[in-house]
This record gives sequence, C-alpha cells and structure tokens, in this order.
Amino acid sequence: MSSNKSASKKIILDGLWGNNPIFRQVLGICSTLAVTNLVINTAVMCAALTLTTALSCFTVSLLRAYTPRRIRMMVQTLIIASYVIMVDLYLKAYWPEMSANLGPYVGLIITNCIIMGRCEAFAVANPPVPSLVDGLFNGLGYSLILLAVSITRELLGMGTILGYPMPYFSTLWDKWIIMVMPPGAFFTLALIIWLCRSIQTTGREKTS
Amino acid sequence: MTGLTGEMTHALVVCFSAIFTGNMVLSYFLGLCPFIGVSREIKTAFGLGTAVVFVLTFTSGINWAAYHYILVPLELDFFRFILFIIIIAAFVQFVEMIIERFSPLLYVNLGIFLPLITVNCAILGVSLFMVIRDYSLIVTVAYGFGSGLGWMLAIVSMAGIRQRLNESRIPYGLQGPGITLIIAGLMALAFIGFSGVLQGR
Amino acid sequence: MIRQKKWYPILYMFLVTVFFSTILISFSRYTRDLVEANRKLAFEKAVLKALSIPLPVTASNMDWHNTYLEKIKEPQEDLQGVYIYKSDDMVIGYALPFEGQGFWAPIRGVIGIATDKRTITGIAMYEQNETPGLGAEITKPEFRAQFEGKQIALQGNPLEIKQVTEELDQHSVHAITGATQTSIRFEKILNDALEKWKTEFLHGDNRQ
Repeated sequence: MSSNKSASKKIILDGLWGNNPIFRQVLGICSTLAVTNLVINTAVMCAALTLTTALSCFTVSLLRAYTPRRIRMMVQTLIIASYVIMVDLYLKAYWPEMSANLGPYVGLIITNCIIMGRCEAFAVANPPVPSLVDGLFNGLGYSLILLAVSITRELLGMGTILGYPMPYFSTLWDKWIIMVMPPGAFFTLALIIWLCRSIQTTGREKTS
Repeated sequence: MTGLTGEMTHALVVCFSAIFTGNMVLSYFLGLCPFIGVSREIKTAFGLGTAVVFVLTFTSGINWAAYHYILVPLELDFFRFILFIIIIAAFVQFVEMIIERFSPLLYVNLGIFLPLITVNCAILGVSLFMVIRDYSLIVTVAYGFGSGLGWMLAIVSMAGIRQRLNESRIPYGLQGPGITLIIAGLMALAFIGFSGVLQGR
Repeated sequence: MIRQKKWYPILYMFLVTVFFSTILISFSRYTRDLVEANRKLAFEKAVLKALSIPLPVTASNMDWHNTYLEKIKEPQEDLQGVYIYKSDDMVIGYALPFEGQGFWAPIRGVIGIATDKRTITGIAMYEQNETPGLGAEITKPEFRAQFEGKQIALQGNPLEIKQVTEELDQHSVHAITGATQTSIRFEKILNDALEKWKTEFLHGDNRQ
C-alpha cells in the first residue's frame, strides 16, 4: 500500500516539476503559447489540454490490451481527436466568444506532442487509473508554466490580470506593448525556462 | 477574367504575408517543437524545411478539396480535425514510399524528416486556418506554399545563428531551448518590421 | 484466437472509429442548434448596438433576440444587404454590415446609419481576432463611442481614423495607440462598405 502511494506521489511530482513537459521535455508549447497574451484564454486552453490528456491516457490505457501494436498510433490519434472535437463543440455551443478567441488553437491540441508523448511513454504500459493521474498532472505541470507566462504577459503588457486592472500596473506602469505581441511570448517563456532549470539544478546539487 | 486575376493577386498577397508578416512559427507559434529540436545544423534544418514546404503545399490543397467536397456536403465539418490528420499522415507515408522507390539519394537526405512532419502542428494549422478564413483553392495552395517557405526561412536562419553560438558561453539553465526561444523572440521582433509591407491588404 | 487473425487490426480500427464517431455525431447533433443560435445572436446584438437601441445591462439573450425580431427588418432585394430599423412603419435607421481582412483574421461588424443617410449612429463588431489589448480594443465601448454622430464625408474617404495627436473633425475618429496595423485595415474595411453605401444611396438621393 505504501509503495503504491509513493508511486503515485512520484507520478504527480514528476508531472508537475521533475519531468515537467515544458521546461524539461520542451514539448507541445505550440498550441497554447499563441493564446498566452490573455490569462483567461490560457486558462481555458490549459483546462482543455489537461482534460484531453488525462482522458486520452485513460482511454488508451483501457484499450491497451486489445490494441494491435501496429495500428496503435492511429488509434491514439483517433482517441485524442475525438476528445478534442468534443471540447471544441462544447465551447462552440456554450461559450461562443471563447471559441472565437481561441480560433484554430483548440483543434491544434491534437498535434500537441504532450498527449501523444504521455500515451506512448506511460499509458500503453500502465493501468488506467495511474495513467489518468499521469496525464492529469502532466497537463497541470504544463498549465502551471503557461499560466505563469500569461500572467506575466498580461500584467506587463496591459496592466491587468483576467481583465481586472491591477494597482500600479494599470496606472503608473508604462505598458510594454511588446509583451502582448508574439515576441513577448518567446522572451517570457525563455526566461521562465531559465529560472526553472536553474532552480532545479541547484536543488539537485544540494541533494547529491 | 478580372475574377481570376483578382484571385491570383489575392493568392500572391496571402503567400507573401504567410512568409513574412504572418510567419507560422514567429507569429502563430506553429511547428515550434521541431523548430527548437531540429535547428542545430543548417543542413538538417534545410532538409526538414524542404520537406515541410513540399508536404504543406500538397496537403493544404488536398485538405481543401476533402473539406469542401466531402465534409461540407455531408454536414460533418466538425470531423475535419480527424480527416485532416489522416490525410496528412497518409500523404506523408505515400511520399515516403515513392521517394524510397524512385530516388534513394533523395530518400537518404529527406526521408528521415518525413515521419517528423506528421506531428508538426504547422501542417494541421494551415489546414485549419484555411477553413476559418474561407480561402479558395488557389489561395489555399498559395497560403500552404508561403507558410512552408516562411517556416523554412525561420528554421534555416535559426540554425545559422545557433551554429555560430556553439562557441559561446551560455548560462547553464539557458542552454538549448532557453536561448533558442530568446533568439526566436528577436527574430519575431524583426519580422514584425515586415507588417508595414502589405499595408491595407 | 481472434487476435491472431490477419483482419483483426482492421476490424478493431473499424469498431473504435464507429464507436467514437457515434458519440461525436450525436453530440454535434445535440449542440448544432445552439451553435447556430449563438452565431445569429452575435450578429443580432451587433445590429442593435450599432443602431444604439438601448437595452438594460441585465437583458438576457432572449430579450436581445426578441427586440431584434420586433424592430429590425431583413434586407430586401433593392437594399444591397442593408437591414432596416423600423418602428410603427417609420424608418428610424439603417444597419450596414461590413467585413474585411484585419491584421490577424477577418473583422465583421455592422455600421448603424440614421435616416439622413449620413449620420452614423454607432458601430459594433461581431467577429474579430485582433491582438488582445491592442487591435482588439476596436470592440471596446470607448473606441466605438467615437463613431456616434459622425458624418459620412461626401468628398474623399467617408471616414478617417487619425493618429491620436491629430485634430478631429466631423468625419474622423482617433486610432488606437500601438495598433497601427489594425487601425489602417479597419479604416479600409469601413470605407469600402461606406463607399458602396454612398454610391447606392447618397449620390442617388442627391441627383433627385
């Protein structure tokens, strides 16, 4: 029981920090980085991605014993695409403004390497529940970084967070227009990756 | 006749803007993974870039036809995500087989990049943008071609810059993806300068 | 064993596809009407806003829809797609839809025009994907309010979007700082629509 518990703890920590999809594996930033100029858009995209990753991993794991090896990539793509389409239809029906804001990027979750990566690296060889947890926390680890990027961009570029004006930043701060433009995303992400990797290496040196 | 020339002008404008003002990687962040992963050497970057141009030009046309002649009449347009991915994967596989059989030399140079392309979001991205922007067939193919060229331009220049950086001392945490992203940011900044070129189009 | 058979992968793929397709198709059937209604509602809201027809902040989507049905007449053949705002058989205004390519994606909206066919009652957008915080400010009330009461110029460009430092006249509004590209394109989109309006309705009237 205790080994079981420590195993799931390891899955969670690896997803969030140790093997974080963004700053360790540098995977799948494409579909979300584009919408990081507003926190709300990023939050919705990240929620969609986390949900899709978790459910796809769960489903892939559920079917793993029956799926012929040769066609497993095709089956995985089909599963991922189905979940993404459901998210897309849901947003179109119940939150049309958001759907319009995100444009094609919801659909591009399909080609997000994290999902396929987690399915291949974990879900094909593990039972459904750990796979679900693995997918969920990899998604959350991914969301954590991108939310940090989007908060930085919206705050410095527009002086708001989630559309609410922030003290100092919305009044005295001279807004950095570059932050809401594409280059701002590259710079912010690079600095956050730098920060996280540096913290991680100093942490490792201490423990070793 | 004017309709056709108008269409051609539109196609030309879309093609140029896809290369410069609306660059796939630098302003839409599409195809970032290979952009960061496979940009260490100019030669490989060039190979991958060529493969992307080729696949993008053809799949955008095929996907256009599939969308307008199959999905729209059947009212199944939400299936486009799956259909586009399948078409792209099938096309890449097909090209790989053809190249392998008829041109071993080209296969050695280009073949290894083809499987990488299926997961390149720029390819799917172009097809999704074409649906949202309601392009005609000619414009779509021009858009696909331009996007491919723009992507290639970006990755080849990135590889050139990174080769020069080999000798530089970069802080540990910034090595690899970190510095690549910063360079990408600077390139994106430079590309914003092009946005005045097609003013009012 | 069925799994050793050659046709098993095909059968498997087929079953998985059928399963997911069924779910997706039923889900899309279920949401289709809602998606369509959302699309129409966005347009109807834009028309009402452009004509400055006041509705309380608390108005529900149904209120908007009913007001639209009550007050707006669909365009007839001789009207070139212009919607008419009528009350007790009296024409109170016209709603002129416009669309064109913005900086990132198409911008679609409506211009409201008073009965003199020259005074603008307001503008509203129902579809755009400009940079949040910059180009997307064209949808903000502060920017849109500038258009209210402006006159369509008979000579030269019907409307002008000028730099913030320049003086305004009856035919011009201020651009959004930092969003040069969107402003230039938006000016062109508006003027394309208004030029057509001028040749169809204004010049015809002058000759009479």
